[in-house]
Amino acid sequence: MKPILVFDKVSKEYPNGTKALKNVSFEVHEGEFVSVIGPSGSGKSTILRSINHLIPITGGSVYVDGEEVSGLKGKALRNLRRKVGMIFQNYNLVYSLSVLQNVLHGCLGYMGGLKGIFGRYSEEDKERAVELLKELGMEQFCLNRAADLSGGQKQRVGIARAIMQNPKLLLCDEPIASLDPSSAKTIMDILKDMTHKRNIACIVNLHQVDVALAYSTRIIGLSKGEIVFDGPPEYLTDEMIERIYGTSRENLMIGGTDEKKDAAYCA
Amino acid sequence: MTEPAKTITPYVVRDRKNRISVRCAQRNTFIPGFLIVAAVLSAISLLYLQIDWLKLLSRTPEVGGVFWELAHFDFSNMDLILSSMMETISIAVLSLLYSLLLGVIFGMLAARNIFRITWLSVLTQSFFTFLRAVPTPVWVLLMMVCLGMGAEAGVAGLCVHTTAFFTKSFAQSFESIPDETLEALEVTGTSRLSIFTNAVLPAAFSQIVAWTGMRLETNFSECAILGMVGAGGIGFIISRNLQGYEYGTAGLAILLVFLVAYIIERIFVWVKKRL
Amino acid sequence: MKRKMPLIAREQKRIYTGFLIIMAVMFVITTAYTGFNPMVLVRNGDAFWEFITKDFLPPALPKASRIPGIFESVLVTLALAMSATTIAAILAFFVSLFGSEKVSPFPRAAKYVRGFATFLRNIPALVWAFILFSSLGIGTGVGFVALCITSFAFMVRAFVETIEDVSQDCVESLEAVGASFPQRVAQAILPSCLCGFLSWYLYCIEVNIRASTIVGMVGGGGVGLTLFSYIKGFQYDIAFTIILLVAAMVIVVDRVTGRLRKEILK
Repeated sequence: MKPILVFDKVSKEYPNGTKALKNVSFEVHEGEFVSVIGPSGSGKSTILRSINHLIPITGGSVYVDGEEVSGLKGKALRNLRRKVGMIFQNYNLVYSLSVLQNVLHGCLGYMGGLKGIFGRYSEEDKERAVELLKELGMEQFCLNRAADLSGGQKQRVGIARAIMQNPKLLLCDEPIASLDPSSAKTIMDILKDMTHKRNIACIVNLHQVDVALAYSTRIIGLSKGEIVFDGPPEYLTDEMIERIYGTSRENLMIGGTDEKKDAAYCA
Repeated sequence: MTEPAKTITPYVVRDRKNRISVRCAQRNTFIPGFLIVAAVLSAISLLYLQIDWLKLLSRTPEVGGVFWELAHFDFSNMDLILSSMMETISIAVLSLLYSLLLGVIFGMLAARNIFRITWLSVLTQSFFTFLRAVPTPVWVLLMMVCLGMGAEAGVAGLCVHTTAFFTKSFAQSFESIPDETLEALEVTGTSRLSIFTNAVLPAAFSQIVAWTGMRLETNFSECAILGMVGAGGIGFIISRNLQGYEYGTAGLAILLVFLVAYIIERIFVWVKKRL
Repeated sequence: MKRKMPLIAREQKRIYTGFLIIMAVMFVITTAYTGFNPMVLVRNGDAFWEFITKDFLPPALPKASRIPGIFESVLVTLALAMSATTIAAILAFFVSLFGSEKVSPFPRAAKYVRGFATFLRNIPALVWAFILFSSLGIGTGVGFVALCITSFAFMVRAFVETIEDVSQDCVESLEAVGASFPQRVAQAILPSCLCGFLSWYLYCIEVNIRASTIVGMVGGGGVGLTLFSYIKGFQYDIAFTIILLVAAMVIVVDRVTGRLRKEILK
């Protein structure tokens, strides 16, 4: 099976000298649901943003769907970006526009310049957007201002926008960090469900280890810009968690020791 | 019974051509109207001004020439430029300081919650609104009629506008202090004046500092142009040398004005971050 | 000895004391430099009073034949401020898109764009007017350009700040979607920042009403010029009438823009 995403000895050094990534290599295949965990500043965000070239890398290469990212510019880069959906911690919606308009932003990468500028979306796209919102239980908010929604609803709009792109890969940058526990569960369920149905590979940055254990098919543990763990959730032992976070498990707010069993029930 | 089409939800609005509407159901309808009116008014204004664009355009190359000559600094009058620069800065700072004092006093009178004499507040506020509405150079010109050329006219003229500005802003800051705080002090039998000096003034202090910094920028640029309408200072050097085609001196003076204004701006940005 | 209980945080107190000390030092230096003595004003109190009561008051009307001309000059001032601000705002919008590292397609140039705007902004409008007068000649057109320059530069800064505050996030998300730069501008920056832009635009109109009066005084035309000629002609009572007119104009514009701003930000 051809991998969707390949990281080949990627490193990133910011202009201020911080080394965010050091020689990071991994592959992601179709249908995988990968969680990236690690303490703040370990490079989780940098990994996601280097995939769609929001942050240019300084060494190594990233391949998305067989195409190298770092050399791309202009039209070619935009074509690559539309294959990669992205979801953000702060939802990053345009709050003065309607929910529907925000979802339709997902089509911009497929549209000609002028049509996209004036927001002249085709009827098929609109139907598809409405369908998507319906699937997410949001159809009654179609014409509301995005600013008037609650956090969980905003994130659902963000998901709809990303799915609207027909992506092969979905990047989620701490999608539940600003949500209350119940909306967080809804969002994670939706993510798992949507990507599974559409066979989209998904990479999620997470702070919550228990969520990562419950939902992902594979976990990548980052520490100081290096991968220290890469494998299925079953293999993520307490020692591994200690290595990732640099402190013993008791000092982390993860949950009880029989946590894994609970999580298994949830899933 | 007809089956509804697959995608029809009651929440989707369609227009006559059966296109789905995507725009917000409740949007600010004021803004499009405002944009149109502003555009029309501006177009009418442009036509009304009857600017001879061709003439302007044909002379544009000369602007480049002037800038070229301005960039050839002439340092021979440096001491004169520096001393008038100092004078300008001094006038700006002095008027700022005097106005600060006056502004606190009048702001106290203008704020409705200090003395609670409504007619006094209204009177003070409307008087200073009038003073503020008239541009500074007018006041300086009038002061020059009374006091003659010199720093006095400059300081007094600038003070009029600056005091008016401070009165309004300080009164606003004072009024933003919650009534409960004042009432709490009032029941202890504190006099109104000491309530003001002990509670209101300290609470508004950081805002006063912010307003002062902001005003210093304005005051400096106002002061720099005063010379151009007939008062002294760096503006006089600039206008006289421009009119006398001494571009080298004028260019140097303009550069100095820019530098001082820039430094004041940077200092203010720095102070604002610290506050 | 009992120590006094500090009422405010020490850090804050240091800032306040520093502020007061700086004020005092500046006061001493500048007073010494200019030799300014506030008593001069008090001593000249009689002259002031005489000037105000004899020359200034009561406001007098100019000759009836002049009155339409004066109203026309008020209109010129208003038109000058309005059109210059609008043109400047349109230009500033396009330039400000390139003034923020996070939004501009050429992040490296952003610094220079902002620097250029800073340069234009920190030279007062009247100085620009004088520079342009010496090359383009006196006239309303030059006043227009001078006003444009400063309000353009001011709005570039204000717009860049608005963009960085409001739409950095949604620009990033549209970038991730694969939208082109014009699409990002039209679909993310414009809808999210429009209110902020318009609020600054209205503020700029307020400022420019005053500025256009001043630019008028030195040759830009409009009510400033009329006022200036009456003051220079020692007709202070008529000048006072015009001052009242200018004040009325400014106050009305302030009120209108204030109302509009409230309406827009609602």
